Amino acid sequence: MPATVPISGPISGDEWPSDTELLRRHVGGDSDAFGELFRRHRDRLWAVALRTVCDPEEAADALQDAMISAFRRASDFRGDSAVTTWLHRIVVNACLDRLRRRAVRPVTSAGDEQALEALLAHDPDPARATDTRLDVDAALRMLPAPQRAALVMVDMLGFSVDDAAAILDTSPGTVKSRCARARARLLPYVAHLRGNRSATERVSPAQGGDT
Amino acid sequence: MTHPESGVLAEFRAGLVTGRRRASIASHLEACDRCAGLSDQLGAIPVLLAAAPPPAMPDDVARRLDLVLAAEAAKRDSSERTVDDSPPHLPEPRRRWDFRLVTQRILVPAAAVVVLAAGGFGLNRVIGGSSSSSAASGSEAAPAAARPANGTAAARSEATSRSSAHPAIESPLNFPVVNSGINYLRATLAQQLETELQKQAQSAAGPQVLASGSLKGCVQRVTQGTRPGTLALVERAHFHGQPAIVIVAVSGGHDTAWVTAPGCSASSDHVLATATLPGTSAS
Repeated sequence: MPATVPISGPISGDEWPSDTELLRRHVGGDSDAFGELFRRHRDRLWAVALRTVCDPEEAADALQDAMISAFRRASDFRGDSAVTTWLHRIVVNACLDRLRRRAVRPVTSAGDEQALEALLAHDPDPARATDTRLDVDAALRMLPAPQRAALVMVDMLGFSVDDAAAILDTSPGTVKSRCARARARLLPYVAHLRGNRSATERVSPAQGGDT
Repeated sequence: MTHPESGVLAEFRAGLVTGRRRASIASHLEACDRCAGLSDQLGAIPVLLAAAPPPAMPDDVARRLDLVLAAEAAKRDSSERTVDDSPPHLPEPRRRWDFRLVTQRILVPAAAVVVLAAGGFGLNRVIGGSSSSSAASGSEAAPAAARPANGTAAARSEATSRSSAHPAIESPLNFPVVNSGINYLRATLAQQLETELQKQAQSAAGPQVLASGSLKGCVQRVTQGTRPGTLALVERAHFHGQPAIVIVAVSGGHDTAWVTAPGCSASSDHVLATATLPGTSAS
């Protein structure tokens, strides 16, 4: 592209430009800057999308929507949060949008207790507990989307409650409360998951199960 | 006190319970093994979740997104080069894919339509039994992309079908569309299609609807080199996980298949893949 771009040049200028710098270059017309920014964070953004929508195809679509949107709206970024927070927010919103639009064909069974029970009943083999990843995915699916999004941010991706609140566009209190409700909802499932170990020594499998 | 519910315990652990209530739960936990156990398990959940291996972005997704962003950048560059009297972005409805650029510059394994025109299987095969299906496709047809622009061809095809007394078998513009859940892959497209064609030939296809105007325009455009009456299959399916239209037509002893994006219309095709099938002999 023509050398009229108001920046020094390609990314090689300095070794590791900050996210903010990359975004600034992008807004200034650098064709490569946004792609670089995306590549830098894509695994994490992918994890957010996949965990939030629980479906690889939907996640890819949501992430694509989000990246196009971020590409085009980059000049809206005001620097009042970290670039990563801004990117994550766009991704999460794209995911939640998608889930709302797809509500007719629910990807999740939105907290259906019976589905959870069925899941547990369906899996009586303790040896399978080794496949934690599948189990975690299945468990996440049981949560209503807003709870799941909060839990993914905080418990799975390690965002602070404040950062998660900024990403989810809500208050820290709401994030805490959604996470708490989500954990409570996952409790029977986790008790089962760890049922062969210490958990059973102290507690009967599901809380209301006895007497 | 009575055992607190797990939701309350979770809130307690998250610091959302205060004052006297907090104190009372705390002392209950001292005394009650059952609730202490539950509380421990609640505490284990974040550990368990954090231990789940983070999913790596699949290569095909990474590639696709790189391409999409490259296309965005190219589009921006070219719109900056033109003078400012044209709006930077057309006021199009939200599109699933940026077909114009993405699919023309680079083949993105994206939303697609497979159009197959095949030898052994005449159009009548596909057409048979379509009378009961309704022309329902408008809404499901093109989730986002196809919009105006296909007016002429669509109107023409509508006229064609209306003028003939019974569902014009000869007309390539009046055909049923098979809805299948098949996910075609580039690498195995030909094999999958052969199987599908055989299946179609043997039994009435699954749910069918008549083609919408834009789809007719699409088929006409995509198969332009193909003589009428040789359409073997028009199918709404998936291609690499994305909605797609598959078109198969017969030409010169072999079958040609196209996979296009759902936004395909008379004015623009979005062919994502093509395949040649060994002329499905007789049968």
